[in-house]
Amino acid sequence: MKTELLAPAGNLEKAKIALLYGADAVYIGGKQFSLRARASNFGLDTIKDIVDYAHGMNKKVYVTMNIVFHDDDIFGLDDYLLYLKKINVDAIICSSMVVIERAKELTDLEIHLSTQFSLSNSALANYFYKEGVKRVVLARELSMEEIKEVQENSLTDLEVFIHGGMCVSYSGRCTLSNYTVLRDANRGGCAHTCRWLYDLYENGKLLSENHDFQMSSKDLEATAYIKELLDAKISSLKIEGRMKSIHYIATVVSAYRMLIDDYYNGCMRDLTFYQNEIQKAENRQTSYGFFAGDTTIEQQLYNQRSEIPTKEFVGMVMGYDDENKYLILEQRNYFSPGDTLEIFTPDKTTIQFKVKEIYDEEFNSIDAARHPLQKIYLKCLVKAPKYSMIRKVENE
Amino acid sequence: MRIVARLKNLEEMNKLINLGVDVFLVDTPLAVKRISLDIHNDISEIKKHGKVYLLMNKMIHETDLSVLGKWLKIAKEQNIDGIVCGDLTVMVKAEEIGVLDKIIYQPGTMNTNSFDNEYFSRKHLKGITISKEITLEEILKIAKDKKTELSLLGHGFIDMFYSKRKLITNYFKFKKEDKTDILNNYNYRLTEEKRPDSLYPIFEDDGGTHIFRDKALESFEEVKELRPYLDDFFIERIFLSDDEYYDSILSYKDEEKAKEFIAKYEDKYDKGFYYLYTEKIKGEER
Repeated sequence: MKTELLAPAGNLEKAKIALLYGADAVYIGGKQFSLRARASNFGLDTIKDIVDYAHGMNKKVYVTMNIVFHDDDIFGLDDYLLYLKKINVDAIICSSMVVIERAKELTDLEIHLSTQFSLSNSALANYFYKEGVKRVVLARELSMEEIKEVQENSLTDLEVFIHGGMCVSYSGRCTLSNYTVLRDANRGGCAHTCRWLYDLYENGKLLSENHDFQMSSKDLEATAYIKELLDAKISSLKIEGRMKSIHYIATVVSAYRMLIDDYYNGCMRDLTFYQNEIQKAENRQTSYGFFAGDTTIEQQLYNQRSEIPTKEFVGMVMGYDDENKYLILEQRNYFSPGDTLEIFTPDKTTIQFKVKEIYDEEFNSIDAARHPLQKIYLKCLVKAPKYSMIRKVENE
Repeated sequence: MRIVARLKNLEEMNKLINLGVDVFLVDTPLAVKRISLDIHNDISEIKKHGKVYLLMNKMIHETDLSVLGKWLKIAKEQNIDGIVCGDLTVMVKAEEIGVLDKIIYQPGTMNTNSFDNEYFSRKHLKGITISKEITLEEILKIAKDKKTELSLLGHGFIDMFYSKRKLITNYFKFKKEDKTDILNNYNYRLTEEKRPDSLYPIFEDDGGTHIFRDKALESFEEVKELRPYLDDFFIERIFLSDDEYYDSILSYKDEEKAKEFIAKYEDKYDKGFYYLYTEKIKGEER
């Protein structure tokens, strides 16, 4: 059984992009019961749409229901579970006993335990297996050695985070946001209080300078550990980031897809190849989290900007005019004639070309593409498939 | 309702009993936020003086499983009255060793609804501690329909963050300062850039880093309402002086003392989330 590549999706478009660019499955949150409810555009009908779309590609959709439930939150839970079953969602991801129990009582939905539970050992994984949980998402605090040990001793399938943002706290054990701004971190309201700036005192004496005591974690980037994870036969490798852009999702999913496929095909390239691909869209500093053991200053951000420049995403291909050889784009960022662009297709092909002329929808020549979501035409002899990404390579 | 107090040393056992403490909570090597690093060596002596709960509240990793098994066997041999844990793994291993009925599941953030209580009653553990981030109204709803023993961590400095990362140690490494005496040091505080007057205790130990509320919690009024439903009432000790801790315990036994306590320590305490509703998502209207 090949290891699954699991990608995030904050809306239908992102879900389709993730699947097209190589994810075996996507996880989405509905408007109810999900920690990313704020980011969700998945109403009940849209969930059905993406399930049908994914199943048409022989791929899967998991729905997160990972809030920590209060009594008031339970209203509507049964109907929601029954609906997810009816539309053939492949699994739910949850962290509350009430969801596990109700799902078992009412449906035969596959159940995954969310990383919100911070499960860190095989004994607990096996307990949940007996409770009807098929897969557990491990805590992000486990080293590679620990992951291997848990894998050896567990009856459940294991899912491991390989890329994206990391809580600095054990997930589900932080209420900084609750206390500081009355937003419930475990019910989708996290204000990222851990990323604010702090000062440290000892016995009343200020030890820090200019609020430089910071707790922010660099994002996770685990390319160096994928081979070991695949050797260990971990069931699923997970990318974080339901709030990220389609360009980010396409790029990161595609890079890990290539890495995993190259492993199975026995032709892995130097890791810098995959890392360079990721860097085209990764705009935050990254490190390898707990994979090498306890974290050091290498995994933390201190007085550093977390954002770093990336290749600029300027548009997405929506079609091709075969007769006249025009790419039809949806504009996302500014570009103009003279710029060199790179087409990045779902099948991992990259092609560079120089922009000569840009036309609007009425075929008027324009001096620049400057309006987001504007439909524009570019002369291009290469027929790039729908949903290919267009990046700016250099600006002359 | 039993008063559960953290025991720092053998010398104060009689003092605590005289104040009205019903159960001693004793740190073990599987505890985080410890107030004593060696008191677990004296369990048999403590047991002679009263009921004992063992604290095993760290997150349990694969490498902790053998130590956990050892300590659960000690708990069984010593006929311990309760085992307070934050990770459900302790319950799983306790069943194997035959001390499941001693387990009090106290994960901090997770026991937030009536169903949790019902679920754990079916597992036959001793009880669960209700989350400290829910309102009094929510607590009462759970408590009035309780199916297993219920407890509350209702007094003292309450943690709001548990990281495996050694954030203070790493900070001094980043600053290239050769700082010693970081672990188990109770004297560190944080302020946030926009909240310079709020001092949040921060504490690093072998288990990682813990951050606490700037105000301690008190529940003198609320306990009057909750007392019929609660089996255990935990009084947290970390960051309190011995005198303040003793005053705290006495104040749950004596209403006049409670009034004196509030007058004396007023600014330092608040009511936590008893009357505060948190938003589920950003900008949500309530």
